[in-house]
Amino acid sequence: MNGGESEYRIARFRDRLAREDVAELGVRVEVRGEAILLTGTLPTAGRRDEILRLAGAELAGIPVRADLLVACADPPDRPEDLS
Amino acid sequence: MTSAASPAFSGKWDGSVVRVAAVGDIHLSPDCRGLLRPSFETLPLCADLLLLAGDLTRHGTVPEAQVVAEEVRDLGVPVVAVLGNHDYHSGQEADVTGVLTEAGVTVLEGDHVILPVAGGTVGVAGAKGFCGGFAGRSAGEFGEREMKEFVRAAHRAAEGLHRALTEVSADGCAARIALTHFAPVPDTLAGEPVELYPFLGSYLLAEAIDEAGADLAVHGHAHLGTEHGMTAGGVRVRNVAQPVIGRAFALYHLPLAARTPDAGQTSDRT
Ligand SMILES: [Fe+2]
Ligand SMILES: [Fe+2]
Repeated sequence: MNGGESEYRIARFRDRLAREDVAELGVRVEVRGEAILLTGTLPTAGRRDEILRLAGAELAGIPVRADLLVACADPPDRPEDLS
Repeated sequence: MTSAASPAFSGKWDGSVVRVAAVGDIHLSPDCRGLLRPSFETLPLCADLLLLAGDLTRHGTVPEAQVVAEEVRDLGVPVVAVLGNHDYHSGQEADVTGVLTEAGVTVLEGDHVILPVAGGTVGVAGAKGFCGGFAGRSAGEFGEREMKEFVRAAHRAAEGLHRALTEVSADGCAARIALTHFAPVPDTLAGEPVELYPFLGSYLLAEAIDEAGADLAVHGHAHLGTEHGMTAGGVRVRNVAQPVIGRAFALYHLPLAARTPDAGQTSDRT
């Protein structure tokens, strides 16, 4: 695939992430050499899998590296003192 | 005033600060039912109130709002929320507000609520806010109708926040909090692509905060940003988007000041 075509496919993938069915604006999509890097934090493992599935479909043929985290749902261990 | 050592999360409390728990961008939908509830149930032990900084749902539908409602119903601390852009996505923001209100949440948009706490009263002024950019790098009200409407929406949002904060100050609250979804300052956007800044917040919100006065500004929306910032007028800003704080909620101990009604301007501007 040539560089121009993959650039539009990446833009389309970003659009798709921002669109109704996914609505994940917290995922960053960057080009790293020949590959695409996905970073960000999702509320659940299910949402993360959904993003990976979508990336596989939209970006078929482009190597995808993902470093997506699942948000921690624990309470904080200390407060910040604003005095 | 507050002692240097932060009291542990025990029931013992001296009332010199208000303990503010806050989180935004939880983006709940039926697949995450119960996700935050166990952590939220610890709130009566460590906080006086919970602020929700918008983007509580994924697409702003009623079933999603019902999931949010069950996470925060009967927590034992007051819950105050603003909606975010995701909560407007389906055009059902009024129904989303209704579902949350029914669960006991105070949903603010250009208005305020005063809450009694151990050492005084806390005023929360809330508005979703809007984007448009930051001083020197913002959109102007000029040209096409769409462009002018975009900029006017930002002005209206800031006016709502200003009005609400003015009411809070007039009430002489011992702590004044500005709650928005969009960011008032670029500080807390660090980590986001700079090209996106105009879509993440508006300096008009910070201007309203500095003019009307506040002790803390809390917002969400910038998932890739950072937690800490400050307005030009010196008001501390905290981005509590859940991916940023990396917890179910952030916790701030905000000092309570002695103020009398209509004297919100005793110490600062006159
Ligand atoms: Fe969000
Ligand atoms: Fe948002």
